[in-house]
Amino acid sequence: MKVDFPSTSFFEALKDRMAQEQDRFTKLGYFDTTFGVTVVGPGEQRRNYLLNFEVYECMGAREIDNLEGEDPDFVLEADIAQWQDMLRNIQSNGGADTDHGINTLTHFGEGMKVIYDDPERHDKLFRFSESIQEYFDLAADLQIEYAS
Amino acid sequence: MSYLATSHFLDDNEFVDKYLYSMRTGELDLSWMDAATKEVHCTSANERRGLTFRDLDVDGYGFSDLPEVVRENRCYAPRGAEIPDGVPDMQAGVNRSSDVWAYNVEGYVEEAMSRQWDATTDIAWTELQEAELPEEIGKAYAQLLTFLTEVEMIATDVPAKWMGQVNADFIEVKNFIALQAMDEARHAEVFRKRALSTGYGLMRASVQNEYNLKFLRDAETFSEASVTLHLQAEGNVLTLFRFSEYISPTDADKKMFRLVMQDEARHVGYGMQHLKWLIKHNPECRETLHAHLEEAENFLFGSIFANEVFEPFVILSGKGLKKENIDKGLVITGMFQMRQTEEYFERLDKCGLTDRRERSRLHEVYELTKQGLAAQGAI
Repeated sequence: MKVDFPSTSFFEALKDRMAQEQDRFTKLGYFDTTFGVTVVGPGEQRRNYLLNFEVYECMGAREIDNLEGEDPDFVLEADIAQWQDMLRNIQSNGGADTDHGINTLTHFGEGMKVIYDDPERHDKLFRFSESIQEYFDLAADLQIEYAS
Repeated sequence: MSYLATSHFLDDNEFVDKYLYSMRTGELDLSWMDAATKEVHCTSANERRGLTFRDLDVDGYGFSDLPEVVRENRCYAPRGAEIPDGVPDMQAGVNRSSDVWAYNVEGYVEEAMSRQWDATTDIAWTELQEAELPEEIGKAYAQLLTFLTEVEMIATDVPAKWMGQVNADFIEVKNFIALQAMDEARHAEVFRKRALSTGYGLMRASVQNEYNLKFLRDAETFSEASVTLHLQAEGNVLTLFRFSEYISPTDADKKMFRLVMQDEARHVGYGMQHLKWLIKHNPECRETLHAHLEEAENFLFGSIFANEVFEPFVILSGKGLKKENIDKGLVITGMFQMRQTEEYFERLDKCGLTDRRERSRLHEVYELTKQGLAAQGAI
């Protein structure tokens, strides 16, 4: 089944994949964070998603108008071309290669920005780094329809 | 053998007779069954998570009612157990909550236990053995790994040194630092294994870095050790791991740095939560902390500009030794060091040490680096 990117159904498909891969995520350990994803489209149009993880699972993924009112630990923000490039790379390699991992893209904020208010909650991006990367890597075998 | 029993039980006829009598008659003392403790039945608040330390935070056993000074328990009696007369004083050196406690320490322990990994099997060593690196990159990487191994060895020793000093009533803290020692030992293991799999082996230890490590090890109080190890040193190393992941040559190297980064971020989290707790419950410690950080920053500055530390970063981030590589590497390394310093002061701000920034000479260096990079058009 095809899923559009960006869309709630895309993140719900990752949530379902994560549930199917319980052993893999249980081995990685507790994964307790709520973070935002912002996809900036043409004309600075923003689509925001709030992803909530608890214990070993994704508990929810929903689209919201404004992330500020939701108080996420941090927000990953990039333009749509960057997100699409990352996902295409994940799909062609079965996971992000050395240039397309979340840490590499966010480290100097060149490809993707990390927005946060609180350095302690920002550190959750690093405390759960492998879980977050493997969550996005689950897109490898999704059929994705990219917005033009 | 410096400590001897106060009684020779094998020569104590009364003691031996009592044992033989019990064995012969089956008559038991059973007075421990009336221990003056609370009967409780703790259950998991969240079954998927399991039974956590937080679930045990109940009347008579919990951590929420810990006093600032623990006077009663001088031995290894678990918190909540009856302590009979006559137990020895084990002379724990750290008996004040404000000296060790941290907000959410019980959560960090569970997270640490749950997120353990294995340096032997969780890294794709076969893939790494096949990866060939150009000589200057390989040597620079082996030098970085040598430095990281040195750092992780001291990071193992420091929590291990304090573990036996912390009063047994602070079991959550003792477990956290025990797990930290385990984490750091695994980091020393994984970096040693990676260095010896590059084809270049280990390179050179650094004099300035070793001075910094000695300073970290020899802190006189747990809080001083924590603010410099957990918050300053590990905060810097956390940024360094992210940078190392960023410049890593292979997917397997990247995974290695993501795994070590997770552990390091947890230690930084504990350090921040401890500093916040300390400043709230013992505000007069601020000046002592400033004095300790002043010296810590001096040692750190010496360490990060040691040739064995600074130069591999430049080569790895510029991806070579040609002039254009070095120029690029200097800019990226400068940006990385700015990020390290920014995040250090950001964390101190959050913990309530907001005046560190204006008092710190390290912050002056940060401003100079920023001006230099701006003049080059890098930022």
